[in-house]
Amino acid sequence: MSFDVNKIRQDFPILNRKIDGKPLIYLDNAATSQKPQAVIDAIVAYYQTHNANIHRGIHTLSEEATQLYENTRKKTADFLGARKPEETIFTSGATAALNLVAFGWAVNYLEEGDIILTALSEHHSNLIPWQNVAERTGAKLAFFALTENGELTEEELKTKITEHVKLIVIAHISNVLGTIFPVKRICELAHAVGAKVVVDGAQAAPHMRVNVQSLGCDFYAFSAHKMLGPTGVGVLWGKMELLEPMEPTVFGGGMIDTVSPNCATWAEIPYRFEAGTPNIAGVVGLGAAIDYVQTIGMQNIEHHEQELTAHTLRQLTTIEGLRILGPKKAQARAGLVAFTVRGIHPHDISAVLNSAGIAVRSGHHCTMPLHKELEIPASTRASWYLYNTKEELDKLVEAINEAKKILR
Amino acid sequence: MDIYREELLELYKNPHNKGAIKDPTVSVDEKNPYCGDEIELQLKIEKDVITEAKFDGPACMISVISSQMLTEHIVGKSLDEVRSITKKDLLAMVNINLSTSRVQCATLVLKALTKALEEYEQDSKDR
Repeated sequence: MSFDVNKIRQDFPILNRKIDGKPLIYLDNAATSQKPQAVIDAIVAYYQTHNANIHRGIHTLSEEATQLYENTRKKTADFLGARKPEETIFTSGATAALNLVAFGWAVNYLEEGDIILTALSEHHSNLIPWQNVAERTGAKLAFFALTENGELTEEELKTKITEHVKLIVIAHISNVLGTIFPVKRICELAHAVGAKVVVDGAQAAPHMRVNVQSLGCDFYAFSAHKMLGPTGVGVLWGKMELLEPMEPTVFGGGMIDTVSPNCATWAEIPYRFEAGTPNIAGVVGLGAAIDYVQTIGMQNIEHHEQELTAHTLRQLTTIEGLRILGPKKAQARAGLVAFTVRGIHPHDISAVLNSAGIAVRSGHHCTMPLHKELEIPASTRASWYLYNTKEELDKLVEAINEAKKILR
Repeated sequence: MDIYREELLELYKNPHNKGAIKDPTVSVDEKNPYCGDEIELQLKIEKDVITEAKFDGPACMISVISSQMLTEHIVGKSLDEVRSITKKDLLAMVNINLSTSRVQCATLVLKALTKALEEYEQDSKDR
């Protein structure tokens, strides 16, 4: 299928919006993506025609709802290249997925003195749970050193991945640096010393082909809302042999096998990890989102974003005083750029961009340790997706120059 | 756009009270954890009256304007008068139409002021 960005744009009703009379240029996709009509329709159709609680309902609606929910599990498993659907657990988001691995599995797996290896660039959601796990188990956190360009060298991997390392937790793509980390290589080296690898795929799964088998990781987390789906749904994929010893962290209905007054046994995997009524409509929405991106083709999406990245990097490097965080080469990074402009606070850049209809994000993007390391209080981040165009990114560059004129 | 009015830009580019005081009576740091803004506020207090006030730190335009206005406003006032300044008072002084997230920028300096006064009182008690 050929990739036609103008045709794709017609699928997203919000792209018709005007901000202060100007067409919306949505470049905050790393925070959340917009939703195509197909996803919105799937959620509405679910509530209009199928709404019921899943599992154990004998009536037709419950059967339909269960089927929609479980079909999405199958779709998600295929999307990630999982061996079986049961390895795919629905959560409320990537954060909840990472917390489930941390407190359901890692706290029992790690021992005092073990090393949890990660990077300073991690999103708080893939750092703070591990700080807490370290505190509970007596394990220690250690950090990869990144190059000036925010990359991980082979040498650094070999130096830090030693036999004391029991767990490596890393983003597939950094939400600030945009770096695509060498997850496959990390997994090879980790497994050679007997360590496991947890991957935060929140910025990767929506934008590139991901196959957990070829990556070789042990756990992979992502969220639906960054991939054209609704908020409130996330996915944890784990190898079945690791999900087996994993303990539930949330208890209640739907996750049990038998219950007596003083104790209970757990339901099969994955149900034991999905206590309470799940976000059924949200999961249905995720299913529609997966259908949508697969119809367009993940490879096409990747290619389109790569072109936009190369184009934007070229333009941004012409702006005097602008510092790009992360890799300088387009091939080393994903479709986002965080930057600072000398003498101008990121908030003020965002405000000027907003007045041009451009939505970007300013702050520390939930990566305080990274910003401290880079010695900047905050940065501005523009992030694109399949519906963004070169013209929109040219407007971004124009507006940054305008901000400089106004504020300097 | 409203917040980029000429007089506000002028205030932002030349904030008179930005900098440090020699021998401040009290000096505090306040942060906005959501955006990474940081402000250092220094006060000189003599006989329960603020005689000098300065601020510094990496902050956005709204934060700078608000800090400039508040530090200007409190000089010459008694601690009791200063204590009674509310968020609403400050926002009225700043008089810019702000989105919810940027109200935080504007009121960071007031948080710093409250902290400074608390520290000053604690110090006075300890002495």
